[in-house]
Amino acid sequence: MDDTQFRPATGSGGIAWFAVLLGIALGIAAALIYTWEIDPVIERNTAPWQLGPQAREEYVVAVALSYAHNGNLQLAFDRLRALRPNQNVWAMVAEVACERHRTVQVQTNSDVIVMRALEQLYRPQGASGCADGQYPTPAPVNLIPSTPTPLPTATLTPPATKTATPPLPTPAALATTGPTRTPQPEGSRIAGRPEPFCDSERSGMIEVQVSSLAGLGIPGVPVQVTWGGDQRSTFYTGLKPGRDPGFADFQMEAGRTYTVTVPDLVSPPAPVEAVPCDEVIVGGETVPVLTSYRIRFQEQAN
Amino acid sequence: MTKRYVGSLLIGIVVGLAVGVYLGWEQFPVEYTNSSLAALAPRYQQEYTVMVAEGYQVDRDVNAALTRLQALGKENTFDYVQALTEQYISQSNVPAIPVMVALAEVMGRLTPVMEIYRLTPVPSPTALQAQ
Repeated sequence: MDDTQFRPATGSGGIAWFAVLLGIALGIAAALIYTWEIDPVIERNTAPWQLGPQAREEYVVAVALSYAHNGNLQLAFDRLRALRPNQNVWAMVAEVACERHRTVQVQTNSDVIVMRALEQLYRPQGASGCADGQYPTPAPVNLIPSTPTPLPTATLTPPATKTATPPLPTPAALATTGPTRTPQPEGSRIAGRPEPFCDSERSGMIEVQVSSLAGLGIPGVPVQVTWGGDQRSTFYTGLKPGRDPGFADFQMEAGRTYTVTVPDLVSPPAPVEAVPCDEVIVGGETVPVLTSYRIRFQEQAN
Repeated sequence: MTKRYVGSLLIGIVVGLAVGVYLGWEQFPVEYTNSSLAALAPRYQQEYTVMVAEGYQVDRDVNAALTRLQALGKENTFDYVQALTEQYISQSNVPAIPVMVALAEVMGRLTPVMEIYRLTPVPSPTALQAQ
């Protein structure tokens, strides 16, 4: 047998297979470094699920606002599903709302509306989060002179007479004003509907009036204002010289929603919102005038 | 002998590079998962823009709408809104037209072709005539 006819296992026909395999491995490694690191595929035609956290939040906000406009839940669901969340899509929306609330991203009117739109989207679907109920829709603004309310007011109080008639309304009169009202503890108060007004001199003010059953202002009543979920301020009536003893006021910031309460309040406090109602030009710049509100708290009889 | 090995190695490298490029660019390209809205495919960008336009109908805050649209990274957001609105009109994309026209109008980009789709005839603003 001729030794020159023998071919070693590592090569045949002039090719060293070991070298070929080594070359392929080196070539693939080099190519992948180039295509993945040095010159990767240009990013385009990205789908929503590939968005980063910030962009996902903006996308969810847009979906919520769209739903607030068109009310198409199926469309909103499909859009949210395009994000491929690793949880229930509604829980994802609740999480976005919570994150915006927690990081105090709610500063403008639009931000408040966004929070409401998010909540309007996730809560009816059974999801919940830390932003639940933090941005309630304010009572509808009614610019028509208020209709007669069951509250006894100062103008309705019978004038003093020689026979010293008790100033309290008769039980029969109260019964006609509130047939379903349950007895309340003595000294309890009810809140009237906030009365909005627009005054460039008193932009964004909450004017509180706390009155006794007889319609007289009560000084020294602590009034608590809450906003932004966990922020609150307490002030007292009767500290404004020249104003009624039961008067107090509070300056709102644009875009925020506030809830006003007083001690012994038995009716739910109506939230108010600092929304623009007009504009004025100050120093050449247009400045919005915020809606102000008058809120009356009235003692009621048992 | 050495020449044979070097030749084989070069052949292998060429084949390996070809395979590697195919794998890296075609079969298993880099998959981005932290993208911005600017990288969205055009159809998603357009859908996002319509959602923002619907949002404007809800909050009536043109600045907020602009901020949301700026995330798309367009060179001129006003031009983009105008062009997309006219595109929808030409395509008879009925659901999107009214809200897009309203957004274009508040941006001062109401063109004659949009006139008949206006939601409410109000005086065009002067504050936002150009970006």
